[in-house]
Amino acid sequence: MKIRILTLLLSVTALHAAAQYAVDQIPAALKTRANAVIRDMETTVDMRAPNDVGTRVRKVLTVLNKNGREHARLVLMYSKNSSIKYVRGQILNEFGIPKAKFNLSDFEDESAVDGGTLFSDSRLKHFLPNEDVYPYTVIYEYEERERQNLVLPQWLPNPGFDISVEKSQFTFLARAEDTFRINALNFAGKPVEELNDKQKKLTWSAAGLPAVRAEAYGPHPESFRPSVRIAADKFYYHGFTGKYSNWEELGGWLYENFLKSRRKLSPYTEGLVADMVKDLPDEKAKARKLYQYMQQKMRYISVQIGVGGFQPIPAAEVDQMAYGDCKGLVNYMQALLDVAGIESYYCVVSAGNYKKSLIPNFPGVEQGNHVILCLPLKGDTTWLECTSQKAPFGFLGDFTDDRTVLACTPGGGKLLRTPKLTAAQNTQLRTANFKVAENGTMTGSVETAFAGSQYDAHLTIANMQDKERLEKLKEQYDVDNIELNDIRFSTKEGTGPVFVENFNCTLPLYATGSTDNIYLPVNPFNRQNSIPDLRTRTMPLYLNRGYTDVDSIVYHIPAAWQMKVKPADQTIETKFGTYKVTIVQSGSQLIFKRTMQMNEGNFLASDYESFSQFISKIAELDRSRAIFTKGQSGSGK
Amino acid sequence: MKKILLSLFLGLGLNYAHAQDFDFGLFSEAESSFDIRKFDAQANAAVLNEYGTAKIDLDASGNTRLYFTHHLRIKILNQEGFDEGNITIPLRQSSDYDSNEEISEIVAATFNPDLGVYVRNNLDPKKIYEERANNNYKLVKFTFPNLKPGSVIEYSYKISSPRLFNFHTWEFQSNLPKRTSSFVARIPAIYNYNVTLRGPYKLSKQDAKLDRECLSISGVKLDCSRMTYTMDSVPAFREEEFMTAATNFKSAIYFELSDYQTIRGVKMNLTKTWRDIDYELKGNKDVGGQMKRADVFKEAVMPLLANASDPLQKAKIIYAFISKNIRWNNYRGFVSDVGVKKAFETHTGNTADINYALISALTAAGLDAEAVILSTRSNGTVNKLFPVLTGFDYVVAKLNIADKTYLLDATDPLLPFGLLPIHCINDQGRVISLKKPSEWIDLKATQRETVRYVLDGDINDQGKLMATLSIYSNGYAAHKRRKQIKSYNSLDEYVEKYDERMTKMKVLKYDITNLDTLDLTLSEVYHVEMDIFQGLDHSQLYLNPFILDRFEKNPFNLDNRTYPVDLGAQRDTRILCNIRFPGTYTLVDKPKDLSIALPEKGGRFLTQTAFENGALTFSQMLTHDKSIYDPQEYASLKEFYSRIIQLQKTDIVLKKTP
Repeated sequence: MKIRILTLLLSVTALHAAAQYAVDQIPAALKTRANAVIRDMETTVDMRAPNDVGTRVRKVLTVLNKNGREHARLVLMYSKNSSIKYVRGQILNEFGIPKAKFNLSDFEDESAVDGGTLFSDSRLKHFLPNEDVYPYTVIYEYEERERQNLVLPQWLPNPGFDISVEKSQFTFLARAEDTFRINALNFAGKPVEELNDKQKKLTWSAAGLPAVRAEAYGPHPESFRPSVRIAADKFYYHGFTGKYSNWEELGGWLYENFLKSRRKLSPYTEGLVADMVKDLPDEKAKARKLYQYMQQKMRYISVQIGVGGFQPIPAAEVDQMAYGDCKGLVNYMQALLDVAGIESYYCVVSAGNYKKSLIPNFPGVEQGNHVILCLPLKGDTTWLECTSQKAPFGFLGDFTDDRTVLACTPGGGKLLRTPKLTAAQNTQLRTANFKVAENGTMTGSVETAFAGSQYDAHLTIANMQDKERLEKLKEQYDVDNIELNDIRFSTKEGTGPVFVENFNCTLPLYATGSTDNIYLPVNPFNRQNSIPDLRTRTMPLYLNRGYTDVDSIVYHIPAAWQMKVKPADQTIETKFGTYKVTIVQSGSQLIFKRTMQMNEGNFLASDYESFSQFISKIAELDRSRAIFTKGQSGSGK
Repeated sequence: MKKILLSLFLGLGLNYAHAQDFDFGLFSEAESSFDIRKFDAQANAAVLNEYGTAKIDLDASGNTRLYFTHHLRIKILNQEGFDEGNITIPLRQSSDYDSNEEISEIVAATFNPDLGVYVRNNLDPKKIYEERANNNYKLVKFTFPNLKPGSVIEYSYKISSPRLFNFHTWEFQSNLPKRTSSFVARIPAIYNYNVTLRGPYKLSKQDAKLDRECLSISGVKLDCSRMTYTMDSVPAFREEEFMTAATNFKSAIYFELSDYQTIRGVKMNLTKTWRDIDYELKGNKDVGGQMKRADVFKEAVMPLLANASDPLQKAKIIYAFISKNIRWNNYRGFVSDVGVKKAFETHTGNTADINYALISALTAAGLDAEAVILSTRSNGTVNKLFPVLTGFDYVVAKLNIADKTYLLDATDPLLPFGLLPIHCINDQGRVISLKKPSEWIDLKATQRETVRYVLDGDINDQGKLMATLSIYSNGYAAHKRRKQIKSYNSLDEYVEKYDERMTKMKVLKYDITNLDTLDLTLSEVYHVEMDIFQGLDHSQLYLNPFILDRFEKNPFNLDNRTYPVDLGAQRDTRILCNIRFPGTYTLVDKPKDLSIALPEKGGRFLTQTAFENGALTFSQMLTHDKSIYDPQEYASLKEFYSRIIQLQKTDIVLKKTP
């Protein structure tokens, strides 16, 4: 009994001592929709010199439940040019009382090589508290040091979904003589500045940021998440020094230091290339020829070591190895074009399905993650993706379309915009013809033409060997028991490149039924799935890219069948897109035509409800069936 | 110099008649005439020749090591085969330097046909990368230069390893088809290995010879046996859905050390009989030692049992206590990691820590508990030809009450008492008892994956269905659903997501019971509003009764199947709908009442539809009464589902009678 009282007393005192991180201190508004809360985070970036940038962090985070578990993970990157000075931390229980301590030796060490890369010299250490009693709090204190200031840490007070922020602060320290630029996005707060003759100090802070839920068809997080980025005018990077304050200077610097001297090919290759194009009529024909040569010779292999993260491998080496990463392959393609006397620009882009432009008034090399090639061709601007062995000449898919990129030219950097793929260009046009037998089995042929952002939808399937190709096509045309044969693929030129797929198929017992009725689902292949109908939508609705699908199918119906129920013709027009379906009977033919044209754009959160209703309605109509009766007349109405 | 001479002698002495390594860069007639596409129409690349050796030898400082050499020649047929030119060789590492594996003598080159000759491009040694992937593995990576469709790539390397126990597993079968693959094992006479060939294919050549005085240890000259295994025309291995571990089916040769002699002539048995293994396991402090720590749990467990008299009741209390108190750290194994005491104190441990804790705690309560070591499904089935421990990667508890036995796994707090997780349902396990000799036990699912849906409601004047949807799950189905529900922060959140997914349905009220009472049926009752008809002012109403558990796609849509379909557990899904209509309707048409079955009592599908007194009743039953179907049964599975899909396209048609 005595002992109990004693422990009780002890815990009460401890409670008082550490109570500042007790979970009951978190304001209720920050617990809504949150799996974790950043209680208090202080980040200090100290740019002592261009080649010596220290980052000190103290982070207190409460994990509210098991779904917030991953928010507690700390991942620290390091390499030859950056190091982790120290890490220490502790775990507190619900009441803010310390339970356990840890340090760097408790971290797991791994190479930071992702799937697409053969080798990279960056590594990481990571740690996740082994707790399963929620809530709990973890405190991290660590310092990292970078021997470069080309890329400085940015402040993202709210780093993800389902996490709220009680307090977060970011301090940037620089020498008095240093100049730098600041870019704040989705953040109105002004920094507190303290300047003296030795140092500049700027401090930003944020408090009470609620948790944000991830929702389908939401905009990219960068468009709403607060962030502050800083870039130093004078930089040091892997032995290089430089200065820039706009894209023009940065692009020019990259060209002079990383690109200019790396485009020389061996005299043998130069001779080969010159010979290859000498009889071709114009620059575009020459460029096309060289691009095809590059595609069949090269393959994509990524090796990232040191400065190689931003600098391409010399063209002569790429030529010899017949492989390279995006930088190496673009640079190599430029070297080939040089021989033919064709001007080209090495372009840094932020690639990905989501369209992300470089920030116009805030240059920074880390905003890009990929490189493509631009050929001015005297007004007939042509873009090349150099990492694909199959991409058509002059075609950028949905990985790099419609966004601002940086062209690194001898005359300095230029911001250019890649072409937009419109809903009218992103097409999937399918025509099919089926003969329906008395037993409901259908045989016929299907042709589908893919273009624009849909160009490569079936490209990988086309490149497979027979058996695998058949299996994948069955996943695409997933009708019970479908038999496919005589599969052919081809390409043709429309307004842009078009990829065409042809096959014959049998759909056994497709139109089946009861004793009286026969059911024929009129749309066997292109069926829209419904999307969640959210009760409370918080995010704006964002449709990234428009497209158009047209399916035209002609069914030849047995003479003895009489149509009893014809699915109604429908046209639904909304600001999100237009859906139109018609079913026409003409003699023994039943002609089905479905057109779905989706727009791109930004819409309000309140628009989501009508959007999901639109999609659900399409999902329902896509499953419509025509109903027939056999033989006897007069049974239909 | 001396070493070279020695090996040269050996080479000349006896072995010229055996399969020999092929010369680097020298292509044979048989290789060039090998028609890959005829052998495998699907291949993007194929192995023209493969040769490996493994031998036990001494390193410079006199330690016994295993030396493995590997030589591979691959033909690349097209650009899709270029990935075969990216090579990764894993090397085991540990904090103990001596137990690291080391690689040497990497040679690699690309050969491109050009005007009738092959042009050779060597791999630049500077472009061989070593990546410390984590604490356990180092990866050696390189890629072949100048690849073209038609290139032949060739590489060889040597690995020195301190791990003798499993010698070297040789996989004849890989993702590429192979023209031929040979493996030579040279084993000093003092070592004895059990050798097993797995997979469906036979060896083309097999040969054993004696190498006299192949090795000299402390002045004693030893003879070696030299075994050669060759397999020609090996098809590529391609994984299929619903299949257990690839290693169960892949053609490969496995070695396992059974005994060896010391230089003094003492025979050391490693794995000879189950009796030896039993003795070893019972004595092992991380296995048998952890099974008898009743002392650790006595104090914590006894008070919980105060009101329990029946042994089964006691066991259930202890099972719930351990599974709630020690969390699984995601590591599998049958060897205790931190020990049951520490696991209990820190509330975390590996499979062995948790289930030995369960055994110890059951013993503390006076119950009869043993261990069952097993291999999980992803790990492959265990080798039952020889008594060996490798291959086991998991342990569960076996509780005996009178003549009944229960298999228990406390690693998952959502598993009901007596149900093993699906990953443990894998052929047989070995019962390890502290008192009795070990024996095999079948690992079969003790329950089915059972779901029952009941939809009961009324169509209102607007054509909406106001109904109660009840979902009752048992066995593995209940386990799955509990896991799913528990992955959300609250029941409200789970139901909200469920509601969002079911677009035609709005949940008005819900009641979920027995979520934490694992022994009982999990029951979810939803009061719902469903959009069924757009108003009721039509002369005829069409209703597809297959609202729940409907198949739009055939899960077995392949043309044929090579490996068994393994579902893990039997399945049983039943649906009962009862829908009342306002006004008077008569039935015009309905889906046929169907009763079909899979051959050999493999499963059944039944439906019945009736309309009486203004009420529609519809019932459906789908069962899989087997958990494993042979490849020959694939066609009937496909046909079975095809019939179901055809049926589910048909509607019930009702006509309004004024």
